[in-house]
Amino acid sequence: MIYTHKSPALLIMGLLILLWGGLNQLGVIDDLQARLQPGAYKDHIAVKEKWEAEQRVASEQAKADNQPAPTLKRPHSKFDQEKAFQSKLSFLFGGLFTVIGVFILLWPAKPGNLDYLVGTVPGLALIASIAFVVRWGLDPLFANWGKAVKEAGILSWDFAKIFNLNYVVLGILAGIFVVNVLKVPVWAANGVRLSRLLLKSGVILLGTLYSAAELAQLGALSVVLIAIFVLGSVGVVLFMGRRMQAGNSMTGVLSAGMGVCGVSATVAASPVVQAKASEIAYTIGTILAWGVMCMFVFPTIGHLFEMTPVQFGAWAGTGILNSAQVAGAALAFDPEGVETLKVAEIFNITRVLFLPIIVLWLATWYVKNEENATKVDIGHVLISKFPVFVLGFILLFILSSLGLFAPADHYQGKYFSGDKVKEEKLLKPKQVKLLEGVSSKMRTPDEQKALQDLISNRKLTSRDQDNLLKAVGKMADLDKAVKGILENAHKAAWHDSPVIRAYRDWIAWLFAFGLIGLGMQITGQAIKQAGGKPLVIGSVVGTLKAVGSLLVVLLFISKSV
Amino acid sequence: MVESSGPGAASLLLAHHGTPGACAAEPLAWAMARAWQCDIVHLWVLPSFWRDMMGDDWLNSAATRATFATYLEQTLSREIEQQQQALQQRCLAQGLRYRFLLQIGEPTACLLHTLHSETPRALVIGSRRPKGVAGYRSHLEMSQLLRQARVPILLAPWGWVESSVVQ
Repeated sequence: MIYTHKSPALLIMGLLILLWGGLNQLGVIDDLQARLQPGAYKDHIAVKEKWEAEQRVASEQAKADNQPAPTLKRPHSKFDQEKAFQSKLSFLFGGLFTVIGVFILLWPAKPGNLDYLVGTVPGLALIASIAFVVRWGLDPLFANWGKAVKEAGILSWDFAKIFNLNYVVLGILAGIFVVNVLKVPVWAANGVRLSRLLLKSGVILLGTLYSAAELAQLGALSVVLIAIFVLGSVGVVLFMGRRMQAGNSMTGVLSAGMGVCGVSATVAASPVVQAKASEIAYTIGTILAWGVMCMFVFPTIGHLFEMTPVQFGAWAGTGILNSAQVAGAALAFDPEGVETLKVAEIFNITRVLFLPIIVLWLATWYVKNEENATKVDIGHVLISKFPVFVLGFILLFILSSLGLFAPADHYQGKYFSGDKVKEEKLLKPKQVKLLEGVSSKMRTPDEQKALQDLISNRKLTSRDQDNLLKAVGKMADLDKAVKGILENAHKAAWHDSPVIRAYRDWIAWLFAFGLIGLGMQITGQAIKQAGGKPLVIGSVVGTLKAVGSLLVVLLFISKSV
Repeated sequence: MVESSGPGAASLLLAHHGTPGACAAEPLAWAMARAWQCDIVHLWVLPSFWRDMMGDDWLNSAATRATFATYLEQTLSREIEQQQQALQQRCLAQGLRYRFLLQIGEPTACLLHTLHSETPRALVIGSRRPKGVAGYRSHLEMSQLLRQARVPILLAPWGWVESSVVQ
């Protein structure tokens, strides 16, 4: 079989991406970029004006001193940085796609590994192109529309913010739109299927971002919550299945899907419990429908309850039926950082580690309850269902903890407690006054103390304090200036190593690519199969899990680790 | 013993997926086939949504996905084979010649394609199941079928029984 399709699509995509990079670098599309990023452009104009004024003063001074006029280096604004970043990425990806695109047109494809690998590139390029359009075009466009609609008084709220219409959600929606309306082109199908690998790579790279203490605390928390909710859900489904006389195979496949990690668990458990085709279709349809719905509902509720990254990550990681949407919801909640994703993915990994155990349990249960059931090989189930990519995550965590990617004390928060924060980044008296003014608004004694400490030290001194004040920064009735001060205090305390910063950027892109690719595998036809007893049982268990885990997280999970 | 028919013989196309609606259409097909002295051509369309049944699974290894795909393929082929053999027996018992066709894709497109390639004298189908009855959501686009079919279409109502056939 030949996987590489002789199509000019990859070359065209490559050239278009290169063109975007070139136009950005030449400044030809600055007007368009200014409209897309009004905030950054405003900053750009301010930086430019300040530089021009400084240049003028320096020139006048030099003239007065009879010296030649100096040329001051113009500082880079956020706008310049964003354009440079877009150009860099466009040249990298566009160049690669163009070269491989030419190769595809000239190369007489022969079956083999090279053919398979080359055959995946057009699909990956399609995903990357969608990701660029969404991140650089639709994301800022929707943000602007949301603000404009609110400012015009058409709505009293920002619809883009409320519905979290950021690049992650829009990317997944774009993927769903492509597969359902436009259909995935034949030349892209092979690469689209490979998007799973991008997500797994994202999880593996995520291993570089945890400190040992963080991983230990999150790991322990996730094991407790997942154990309660996975085992609880499996138990509820087994009970409901029996009461509703759903049959052993249907009950078995449903309990895996609803209990552990959704579609992936259904795929893993179906052959073991000998599920009928219709049972598989109803179950997967139900899980996909719930998953897509949760991805929109969870982040909105999370913001409504002003949850911290730890709380939201724990809730999404426990309460969302389908594991693919856990990452989506975490990034939708917190698209600018990976803090929530870090927490949610630990919960996802714990769920995956539960998968072989649950499959084994169901296999034993099925054999016990069904006369014609085939006995399962325990060792084979445990080995074949073990998620190997988790080993990659652990390996990167170990390498990272050994200081391979960043100084060993990077994770211990040396910038919190040491004297590394520069004087100009410490709080100014005016800012301190503003913070004192909002002291009465703090909701808990912990928040009160965190704010008082910030006021007295003029900087953040611990990770806990940072997390608490991050939650404070999300309070709806807080003054914008105060929010800005808290944000700057956070930035002053966090000095990531360039390697870790690069990892963080790549992780966000990998997840964005992966989620768009997964969106391209969610078809309306599959979702439409939701029905029958699985829909009833799934709705009950899905709601119980979401509401139950929300209550547990709000009542018992502290705002930080 | 009545043998299976071959291509070229006058035929009546029966779209049948073992659903109660399709079963209700069987007696109508038999009555028409006897009256017109046609063979029964049984069309089974395996809807393309089965290709999407791994949804957005990303956690499993290639081996687990392959096991699932093989299992699903075997389960579907077993279900189709059971239904096909049962219908074949019933047709043969009616003294009718029978031929089986399997297509994978969108039901309406596959049906129209078969009508074009087989040129049967008529198409017999069952009606859509009433709301609340469990089943796959993969329906024929009736308006498209009515617009594009070039043969008479016989539609058996839901729950229709043989005694109603005008001999």
